[in-house]
Amino acid sequence: MQFFLNNRITIEVRQEIPQIRRFYVLTCALLFGLIVSLSILINVGVDLSSIYEEFIVFTFFNSSGVSNVIVEATPLILVGLCAAIAFRINYWNIGIEGQIFMGTVGCTMIAIYDIGPESTRLFVMLILSLLFSALWALPPALLKVKLKINEIITTLLFNYFAFYFVLHQVYGAWKDPVDQWPHSEQYDSFERIPQIGWEELNWGILIAIFAVIIIWWAFEKTRFAFQSRFVGANQNMALAIGLPVAMITVISAMASGALAGATGFVIASAHEFRLSPPMVLGYAFSGIVIAFLSGNQPFKIVLVAFLMGGLYVAGESMKVFYNLPDSIIGLIQAIIVLSITASEFFIRYRLLFVSLHRSS
Amino acid sequence: MINSALELEGICKSFDGNPALIDAFFSSGWGEVHALLGENGAGKSTLMNIVSGLYNPEKGITKVGGKTAIIKGPSDSRALGIGMVHQHFKLVNNMTVLENIMLSFKNSWWRLDKDLVLKAISDIPKKIGFSIDPDARIDSLSISEQQRVEISKALIGGARILILDEPTAVLTDEEADNLLNSLKTYALKDRSVIIITHKLREVLKHADRVTVMRGGKTVESGKPTKGVNADDLSYLMVGDAKNYISHKNQKTGEEILHISQLDLIRSNGTTALNKIDFKLYTGEIFGIAGVGGNGQSELADILMGIRTFDSGDIIYFNKKNINNYNPKMLRKLGINFIPADRYRYAMAGDLSVMENFAISRMSFENFGNSLWVNWKEINKKTNEIIIENEIQGAKINTKSRLLSGGNAQKLVLARELTSNSKLLIVHSPTRGLDVRACQAVHEGLKNAASRGTAVLMISEDLDEVLSVSHRVGVINKGKIVGEFKSPADRLTVGKLMVDNR
Repeated sequence: MQFFLNNRITIEVRQEIPQIRRFYVLTCALLFGLIVSLSILINVGVDLSSIYEEFIVFTFFNSSGVSNVIVEATPLILVGLCAAIAFRINYWNIGIEGQIFMGTVGCTMIAIYDIGPESTRLFVMLILSLLFSALWALPPALLKVKLKINEIITTLLFNYFAFYFVLHQVYGAWKDPVDQWPHSEQYDSFERIPQIGWEELNWGILIAIFAVIIIWWAFEKTRFAFQSRFVGANQNMALAIGLPVAMITVISAMASGALAGATGFVIASAHEFRLSPPMVLGYAFSGIVIAFLSGNQPFKIVLVAFLMGGLYVAGESMKVFYNLPDSIIGLIQAIIVLSITASEFFIRYRLLFVSLHRSS
Repeated sequence: MINSALELEGICKSFDGNPALIDAFFSSGWGEVHALLGENGAGKSTLMNIVSGLYNPEKGITKVGGKTAIIKGPSDSRALGIGMVHQHFKLVNNMTVLENIMLSFKNSWWRLDKDLVLKAISDIPKKIGFSIDPDARIDSLSISEQQRVEISKALIGGARILILDEPTAVLTDEEADNLLNSLKTYALKDRSVIIITHKLREVLKHADRVTVMRGGKTVESGKPTKGVNADDLSYLMVGDAKNYISHKNQKTGEEILHISQLDLIRSNGTTALNKIDFKLYTGEIFGIAGVGGNGQSELADILMGIRTFDSGDIIYFNKKNINNYNPKMLRKLGINFIPADRYRYAMAGDLSVMENFAISRMSFENFGNSLWVNWKEINKKTNEIIIENEIQGAKINTKSRLLSGGNAQKLVLARELTSNSKLLIVHSPTRGLDVRACQAVHEGLKNAASRGTAVLMISEDLDEVLSVSHRVGVINKGKIVGEFKSPADRLTVGKLMVDNR
């Protein structure tokens, strides 16, 4: 007590942040999150010795576990990239969910109306997903650059248009003729992303990796990438030195939309094999979290997406083994994400105890 | 000393391991105006921020009125009767003067007594000789009026020791004299005024005593200003910096830019530019002097291509009309800029020195093509530039906001002066810089002019305009009201600046 009376805590901004510090703060944060999660699990009656077995081994050291993680991580990588591209230039794309919906609308349309030969069907579906989502992301971007309307509001509202349009379709023209449920009919076998042949793994991961490489090149290595850094860091300056700010904004917004479309395509044709509205929910938020945790870096996005996928798969298996409710799984995922997010504070700032009794 | 108002002994403070104050000491008495003099980064503001409770020192003793005081935070400082007016005002722009003062006013824990504050505001003129309108919104006030609000806030808060950080940096000569005179009357009683500044003229004219700091240390404490030699003080302040060199008389070249009858009405209906008309020639520095707010920022913005105007023409090299050119097109023509607010318009603070240097040079340097940026080459070139221009504290990967003001400006200057530069437009290039950095920037401008570049320098610092320009124009109410060949007479120019006001 005396210590706190004699000292005052001050917070200082660190001028430079060494990589090693970032690493060990993040490790501590992860450990902290895991310890809190463990104590919750023990509290609800999970045996400590079996946690290791079922949580770690089953998820990461078992071929079906690993393949499941990769399958879950695929759309997460894409949606993480989607959020990151927009956030890099400080374009707050809150309309990711709507863009994913429009992507699934694009590929489902092709699947339902059987457009094009069977051999190229999947490819056409992908293209249309990208196109629909990119175009869906265009109006808010134009409103921003032409009329300076805040994109947070417009992209948010575009979610509702997309969502209710999808509901209109699945309760109407696209309702499944087989079971009369509000989702589209099942895709045919050639409209599904094929399996690789190892466990449950499908070729969707290839799309994701391809996207990572393209985005890494386009948004890190090109002159466009270099210029867009300035649009993100200081828009006034970017305008004053003559960078094409409007063009960079529109292109980034549309690229972000296209990746949302790719996410929708993977979810629809590799996971659900149809358009079913609930399947999309939640991905937009995951994307934002992944982009934030990875600092908008493409390769780190892959890493974080795998972690999140792992958490999801482990959660699923715990559900099966221990009959735990969804809420506990969600709670644990939230704790881990939150402790990593909050650790940013200790990376950027330094806490100091300053003595109030000064002596010369 | 029995008469001491504020005493500081052995103050040490460092930021993230870099010492800002090393055993600094200070002592001011009641009834005096005490100047704290030093270059930028000498530790003046840091020292006074410790007194006002913003920083906690690692070591040292603070005494107020001879008694040891413990200052844990700003509220302790206020309770001890210390009030500080910061260089960047801490006012809420979209609130009224009354509301801003009430924010810092504590008379009851559960309600704010508006009438009491209003009465205190009406008492202000008696104390210091100026009045403020309690119902005006902050953003409708000029800089000097905002400063009055800040001073009033400190006085109403019961300040007996009033500290002002660079109070005249934003004021004209006349306004500055007025302010310093009223501070003098204020300090006549049992009060003390401390002015942080780097302007010698003010110190000699208005302060009773002066303390000089350099590199975080006190090099001269409490010297009476009567009979002090300005050269001695400036030597104490900067060490062995050189004096300004006077420029050679330059032959003016061909006409490069003709600003013809430009008109601009601001959105609030006032006139910004009123048929402004002047010409620029290659190889010369044309300085535009004037009191801030007479259309300089609008003119600068128009020339930068980020603002439109109502009527008139901008003619480049006698024939080419460049009225509606955007910044990119202007750059292509060889027109470059050094804006007044460098962290807003000239650099991105969160990006590195290297990135900030390369960004506007991508199109003509060998920095890779649009598909692949050649970072190795940028790296090499930036290193050369850092050495060539003596940009201190900078490695290529340093975030540019970590550079000091002077070094940041050197970086901008180096970037903007390309081999392609024909016209350089410069707005307040040395605002907030210390003597040494000023000199480096001025040297850079002169070198550019001697290589044939035309330089248009818009500045509110009259001394700067007079010492650097080949030709001086005076702007008043959006119009060039006088033009002089160097050397121009300071008094004549000064009179034209404030004419008809």
